[in-house]
Amino acid sequence: MTRYEFLLQMDEILGLPAGTLRGNEKLEELENWDSTSLITFIALADSAAGVNVSPAQVVNCLTVADLLRVARVDISPTAQSA
Amino acid sequence: MTSEAKTLQAGARRAPQLPTAMADLLRNRQKLKKELLEQPNLLSTRIAILGGSTTTEVKSMLELFLLAQGIKPTFYESGYNRYYEDVSFANPELWNFKPDIVLVHTTWHNVSQFPELMETEAEVEERVRHEMAGFEAFWEKIHAELGAVIIQNNFDLPRLRPLGNLEASQPFARLNFLMRLNAEFANYARSHSRFFINDIHYLSAHVGLTEWLGNSYWYSFHMALSPTATVALARNVAAIVKSIYGKSKKCLVLDLDNTLWGGVIGDDGVQNLLLGSEHTVGAIFRDFQQYVKDLQRRGIILAVCSKNEPETAKEGFSHPDSILKLEDFAAFKANWNPKPGNIVEIAEELNIGLDSLVFVDDNPAERAIVAEHLPEVAVPDVGSDVSMFAEILERDRYFEVDKLVQEDLSRATFYASNAQRKTSGSSFANYGEFLASLEMTGVIGPFTPMYLERITQLINKTNQFNLTTRRYTGAEVEAVAHDPSFITLYGRLIDKFGDNGLVTVLIGHVIDDMVEIDVWLMSCRVLNREMELAMFDALVEHCQARGIRRIVGVYIPSKKNGMVAKHYADLGFERVDGASEGRDLWQYEVPQTYEVKTRYIRRTTEPVLAPENTEAAPVSSGV
Repeated sequence: MTRYEFLLQMDEILGLPAGTLRGNEKLEELENWDSTSLITFIALADSAAGVNVSPAQVVNCLTVADLLRVARVDISPTAQSA
Repeated sequence: MTSEAKTLQAGARRAPQLPTAMADLLRNRQKLKKELLEQPNLLSTRIAILGGSTTTEVKSMLELFLLAQGIKPTFYESGYNRYYEDVSFANPELWNFKPDIVLVHTTWHNVSQFPELMETEAEVEERVRHEMAGFEAFWEKIHAELGAVIIQNNFDLPRLRPLGNLEASQPFARLNFLMRLNAEFANYARSHSRFFINDIHYLSAHVGLTEWLGNSYWYSFHMALSPTATVALARNVAAIVKSIYGKSKKCLVLDLDNTLWGGVIGDDGVQNLLLGSEHTVGAIFRDFQQYVKDLQRRGIILAVCSKNEPETAKEGFSHPDSILKLEDFAAFKANWNPKPGNIVEIAEELNIGLDSLVFVDDNPAERAIVAEHLPEVAVPDVGSDVSMFAEILERDRYFEVDKLVQEDLSRATFYASNAQRKTSGSSFANYGEFLASLEMTGVIGPFTPMYLERITQLINKTNQFNLTTRRYTGAEVEAVAHDPSFITLYGRLIDKFGDNGLVTVLIGHVIDDMVEIDVWLMSCRVLNREMELAMFDALVEHCQARGIRRIVGVYIPSKKNGMVAKHYADLGFERVDGASEGRDLWQYEVPQTYEVKTRYIRRTTEPVLAPENTEAAPVSSGV
C-alpha cells in the first residue's frame, strides 16, 4: 500500500473528506480517533496490508505518520505521489 | 405500471447497502452510518448491551446493521464485564434507560466455574443447575423489572482443548459442559416467548474458531470477538431485532432459467435441463431447489418471475428431479414484460408490501433493473454461481423469524385455498351471494393466553389495514389482556375452504363511559369479507354490557394505511373537530338498541373446527 492510499483509508476510517490527512497530524487532535478507529486501523493493517500490528504499537503512536510506520507503509517519494 | 410503483418511483430511494467485505465495512463505517441515518421513517428502539467483555465494537457494528434494516437504535452499554451486577443491583442508569431490548453479550469466558477433572456426571449436572439458576434469576429480573425482550448469546467454544478429543465425550470436559449449558439455554428459550438465543455457537463455527477470537484483541482490549466475528454477530443480532419488529421478508421471487434449473427451457426443452444428482451442475440446482423448498415449508411464500412463455415455464416443474412443484408457488409470472412490473403485480396479488419481497435472478442486468425501479424490493447480489445463492440468502438473514407458529407452517395450504376462493368468486352474480357461499364463521373474543404470541406478531407486522400502526411488545399485550380498563378482541375467520387463522385485533382503552380504540388492525387477506363489521358488532356488544356510551376511533395516517382513512366514517362515526395534528378522531354514540352490521359472518366466541382436510392458515405474511 502506498502512503497516498493509506492516508485515503485513514480519511475514511475517521470520516474525513478524502485528501484531508497529510501525515503530520497529531492523533489526539483528531476528533474521531477513538478506540473504534484504533481497532479498525489494526484490523485493516492485517486484512489490507497483511501487517500484524499490536495494540501496544498503536497506543505508542502520536501522529498519523507514526501509524504509517507501524503499518510498514511505503513512504518513499514515488509512493507519495501515487 | 401500477400507481404503487409510480409512488415508489417518485418517493422511494434504495437504502445504502452495507459492503460484504469486512475491510470495506470497517473503513467506511462512519460514512455509511451518516448515509443510513438520512433514511426516512426509521423505527426507533432502545437497546441495552450488557457485556461480559468489551462491547464498543459490538455496539458500533450493530448500529450499522440495524440502520441498514431501517431501525435506529439508542444504546446503553454496561461497564466491562458488569452485565450481572448491572441487573442484580438494579443500576439506576440502566433502569432509567428503559430498554426495549437487552442484549446479553456473554461468551464462554463468562462461565463462572467449569467442572473439575473426573467429576461425575451427577456433579456436573449440579454445576449446570447452579449456572442456570444464576442466569435464570438474571433473565427473570430483566423481564419482571425492565419488561424488555432479551437476546442472549449462547456459548461459543474455547479454541484450546486440554483434553483433546475427550473434550467431546467426558462429562467434566469444558466443551461438554458448554454444550449442556447451550441445551439448557435452548430449553429456556422454548418456554419463554420474549427470550431469544443469539446462536454464537453456530456463528463461531461458521466463522471458524481461529478467526472468532483474536488473541491481541482479547488481551489488549478484552474483546471476546475479533472484528470478523463482531461483524457476524452484529448481522445476526440485527436479524433477530428485525424479526422482533416484524421487518423480516415474507416472499422469495425467483427467476427460472439458470436460477432454479440449468439451461433455458424454451431452447433446451425440459428433458435437457440440468437438474438432479446425475450431473454435477444439476446437483447444484437441485440443492438450491431443496433450500428454497425448505424455506417454503417453514412459511416463506414463493413466486416466479421469469421471461418465458407461461406454459413452457410451467413445464420445467414436471422435470422428474425438480424438488419444487408448481403448486409450491403462490404467484407465477412468466411473460416477456419487464420484471419490475411483474413484481409489482406479484405483491398486489399476494397483498403484501414490496418491502416484503426478495428477488433472486442469476442475470445481473435483471437484478439491476429491479433494484433501480423497485428500491423497496431486496435484490441480493447473488452473482452467477448458483452454489452460492443459498449461502448469500442465509448470510443476509432476510427470512429470520422470532417464532414459528402453526399459521406460518400452513401458508401454502392457505394460498391454495385463497386461489379456490377467488375462482369460486368469479361464478356468482353478485358479491353478496359469493360471501354467503363462503359460509363464514368469525370467532371473536377477548385476548387469551394461547393467542398472545400471534396477536403480538400481528400488531407488529400489520401496516395497511391498521388504524394507528401502534406497536406493542409481548409484555404490553399481556398487560392489556389482564387489565380491566382495556377491551381486547381478537378475531379468527373460518370459511368452507379452511381456517384463515387469527386475522384481526382490537384494543380499546376504557376511560369512564368512553372507550378509545388504540389498536385496530386486520390482515389484508380477509379484506371485503365483512370481518371488520363482525369485530365492530362484538365491540358494541362489549360496550353495551359494560355501560360504555361512547366509542372514540383514532386514525393516524401513515405511508401505508390509506386504505382505512374512511374506516370510521363507513362505520357511522362522526368526525371530531379540533383533533391534534397527525391524527383524526372519530366518535360513535353506543345506541341502546343496536342492529348488527354483519350479514355474512356467523359470529361466535367458541372454538370452531376448520373444515376437514384443511389446516389452520396463515395471516402473518399478508400483513
